Amino acid sequence: MIFSSLTFLFAYLPVTLAVYFLTPLRWRNWVLLAVSLFFYGWGEPVYILIMFLSILIDYTHGMLVEKYRSDDRKARWFVAQSVIFNLLLLGFFKYWDFLAANLSLIPGVRVPQLGIPLPIGISFFTFQTMSYTIDVYRQDAPVQRNMVKFGTFVTMFPQLIAGPIVQYKTVAAALEHRVNTTEDFARGAGRFTVGLAKKVLLANSIGALWEECLAAQAAGTLTAVSGWLGLLAFGFQIYFDFSGYSDMAIGLGYMFGFRFDENFRYPYLASSVSEFWRRWHMSLTGWFRDYLYIPLGGNRHGTAKTLRNLFLVWFCTGFWHGASWNFVLWGMYFFLWFLLERYLLRGVLDRMPAMVKHLYTLVVVFVGWGIFAMEDLGVCGRYLAACFGGAPVWSAADGFRLRSYAVTFLVLILASTTLGRDAWEKAPEKARRVLMPVLMFLGLVVCTAYLVDGSYNPFLYFRF
Amino acid sequence: MTKRYSRFLTVCFCLFLGGLLIWHIALPDRDRSEVENRTLAQVPQFSWEALVDGSYTAAVEEYFADQFPLRDGWTGLKARVEQLAGKELFNGVYLCGDTLISKVEAPAEGQVEKDLSYVLRLSEKTEVPVYLGLIPTAAEIWKDKLPVGAESWDQTQLLEAAEATGLPTVDFAAALEAHADEAIFYRTDHHWTTLGAFYGANALLERLEQPLLEMEDFTPEVVSRDFNGTLYSTSGIHWLTPDTMEFWGREDGLSVTSWRTGEAQPGVLYDRSYLEKKDKYSAFLGGNQPLCVIRNEARPEGEKLLLVRDSYSDALAPLLAGRFSEIHLVDLRYYRLPLTQYAAENGIDRIVVLYSAQNFLTDQNLVLLAQ
Repeated sequence: MIFSSLTFLFAYLPVTLAVYFLTPLRWRNWVLLAVSLFFYGWGEPVYILIMFLSILIDYTHGMLVEKYRSDDRKARWFVAQSVIFNLLLLGFFKYWDFLAANLSLIPGVRVPQLGIPLPIGISFFTFQTMSYTIDVYRQDAPVQRNMVKFGTFVTMFPQLIAGPIVQYKTVAAALEHRVNTTEDFARGAGRFTVGLAKKVLLANSIGALWEECLAAQAAGTLTAVSGWLGLLAFGFQIYFDFSGYSDMAIGLGYMFGFRFDENFRYPYLASSVSEFWRRWHMSLTGWFRDYLYIPLGGNRHGTAKTLRNLFLVWFCTGFWHGASWNFVLWGMYFFLWFLLERYLLRGVLDRMPAMVKHLYTLVVVFVGWGIFAMEDLGVCGRYLAACFGGAPVWSAADGFRLRSYAVTFLVLILASTTLGRDAWEKAPEKARRVLMPVLMFLGLVVCTAYLVDGSYNPFLYFRF
Repeated sequence: MTKRYSRFLTVCFCLFLGGLLIWHIALPDRDRSEVENRTLAQVPQFSWEALVDGSYTAAVEEYFADQFPLRDGWTGLKARVEQLAGKELFNGVYLCGDTLISKVEAPAEGQVEKDLSYVLRLSEKTEVPVYLGLIPTAAEIWKDKLPVGAESWDQTQLLEAAEATGLPTVDFAAALEAHADEAIFYRTDHHWTTLGAFYGANALLERLEQPLLEMEDFTPEVVSRDFNGTLYSTSGIHWLTPDTMEFWGREDGLSVTSWRTGEAQPGVLYDRSYLEKKDKYSAFLGGNQPLCVIRNEARPEGEKLLLVRDSYSDALAPLLAGRFSEIHLVDLRYYRLPLTQYAAENGIDRIVVLYSAQNFLTDQNLVLLAQ
C-alpha cells in the first residue's frame, strides 16, 4: 500500500489509528506488527513470507551475537551470517536478473533471468535489519529478546517501503516503552499533511512535465530548453516525492510515538556537491558511512585506501538505487565530482561568490538526475546532448510548457528553500494558531481532490 | 502547542479521515456514473486466488476510488486548482476560452498504415464500392483556438495517408474547415454538432455524386440547452456554459430497427429519454449499438448504404436517411459477422468506413474490417 492512495488515507489509516489507540498499551506492539504486515501484504501478499523470514533470521542472529559475546570469533561469525543473509535476499530479488543479463553477454555463459517482482522496500528493510545485528555486536544497541517487538521494528509501516532507513538504536527505547501525547499526534498530523501535499501536489504535478519531455525526446522534438526543463522537473519530482515520503513517515512516527531522524535538509541549497550529499537522503549516506566507509578504515590509512573506500561507497550508493548500469554510472559520476572537489576544486570554489557555487552545484546535481532517470544509456546520452546544444534551442511547445508550469516551478523553488519555514517561525503565535488548521484542512482537501481524480501518481521506489 | 490546541488539531485530522470513511461506508454504491458515462467498480468478490495474485487488493482500490463520496465534486475542485496554477491541459483536454478540445496523441509507429490496410483489404474482398471517410476532430479544424504552442498530433498526416491508399475518400476536412467559424463541434463534447454533421453529410453526398442537402429541407429544433458532454467530464472543467443540442431530421416515413441484444427491436431516430440524462448525445439513434437500420419507406428504389460507424455517424445518419432507401450502421466493437457477408446478404450498394480521426487511431477492432 502507498501513503498517497485513497485506501491508505481513508480506510487503512483511520482504522489503524482507531484500533491502535483503543488497544491497551501492552498490546500495541502486537497491533503495530499486525497492521504493518497487512500494509506490506497489500501489494504483494506472498511477500509477507519474506517479512517473516527476515524477522526470524535477524532476531535469532541478534540473540546469538548476544549469547556468544564473550567468544568474539563466534559472535563475528553470526554477524557475518546475518549480513550475508540480508545481502543474499537483496541480491536475489533485486540484482539477479541484472547479473544474469550481464553474465549472459559473455560468450558461452547462459544464466536464466527469473523476472521475479521486486519485494517493495526490500532495500530499506534489509539495510535496517543488517544494521541491527551489527549494532548489537558493537554494543551500540541493546539486543531485542522479544520477537514481537523486533518484528514491529522490522515491519513498522511508516518507514517500511520508502525510508528513511531507521536504525534499530533510534527506536529501541520507543519499542519498549513509548509515550503517546496529543502534542506529538498533532505535530505528526501536520507533518504528514505537509509530506502528502509535497508528494501529491508538487511531485506528481511536475513529474508529468518530466514524462512529457521524455516523450518529446523519443519523438525527436526535444529542444535544449525543454531538455533542461525536463531535468529540473525530474530533480524536483524526486526531491519532493522522496522527502514527502520521509515527511509522511516522520509524521506517522510521531502519531504512533516514534521519533525518526530527519532524512533531508534542504539539499538544493547546498553550495557544493559534497554538501549536497550531506543534505540528501541522510539516512542512506549515514548508513554507508557507519557500516561501510568507517569499517573499511575511512580516510585513516593513506590516500590509496581512502580512494578505494570512497570508490566502494559511491559504487554501492549508486547501485543501491537500482539494478541497472545507469545507477552505477550515477554513483561514479558523483564519485568523480567528490574527488574533484576534494583534491582540485576546493580552493577555487572557496573564492567564488555564493551564487556561482550554488549554480555549479545545481547543474552538477541536475545533470546527475538525467543519468539517474534514464536507464537506457543511449537515450540518456542523446537527451543530455540535446541539453548541451545538440538540438534546437526553443520551440513553440516550450512556451506552452513554461506557461503551464511557471506557477508550479515558482512554488517548487520556494519550497526548496528555507523561506517558508522561516516565515512560519517568524509569524506571530496567534496567526500560526489560526493558519495551521486552515492550511492542514486545505492541504488534505486538495490532495484528496487530486487523488480522487486519479491522475498521474507514480510510486518511484519500485526499483529501490 | 498547548494540550487543548493539539487536541483540536488531532480531532480535525481524525474527523477528516474517519468522517470520509464513514461517509463512504454509509453512501449506497452506485452502478454507474452519469457524469463520467461509465459503470463503476463494485465490491470485489474475495477469493484466495485473487488475493495471492494481487488482483483482489487492486480491485478493492478501484472500488474504493470509484465509489468515493462526492466524486464529481473532487474532480471539479482539482480542475479549479489546476486552472489557478496556470494549466491549460486538463486530463488530455485543452481549455480554449469557452471551448474544450481533446488533445490527439500521436499514434504508435506504423499504426496508421496498419489501420488503413484493413480498409484496403475490405475493399479488395467485396464487389461493393468502399469509401473511406475520416472526420478530423476539433483539435484539427479548430487548431487556431488551441493555446499557443499546445501540441496535438497533426491529423492531416492521417488524411493524406488515407488519400494515398487510392481508396475513394470523403473530404470532411475541407467541408468543416469552410465552416470553421460556426458551431460545428460541441464546446464541451468531442462530437460534431448537428450543424457539423450536416456539412459532413454534404461532403459525403458530394463524394457519392448525389445532390446535396439544403438547410431549408430541415427544421432545426433546439432540444437541450444544458448539454455537458464527455470533455466536461474528463477535464473536470464544470464552469463553462453548457452546449445547445439540436435535432434536425424528421422521423415521418422512416422506420428504425435496432439490434441491441441480437434481436430486432423498433428503434427511434432521436431517443428523447436521453435528454433527461447526462449522456445526451446518445439521444441520436439511441446511442451505441451493434447494428441499426434506418428504412425510408418513401424511397424504396433508392440506394442501400452501409456505414461502418462510430458515434459520429449517429448525428449524421438521420440527416442522410431521406436520400437512401436503407442506411445500415454497423459497429465493429459489438458486431462480429464479416462485413462482406453482411453487405452481400442485404444488397448493400455502397460501404462507407466512417470514423472520427481520433477514434480511427485508437480503435482496436478495425482488424475486423478485413475478415
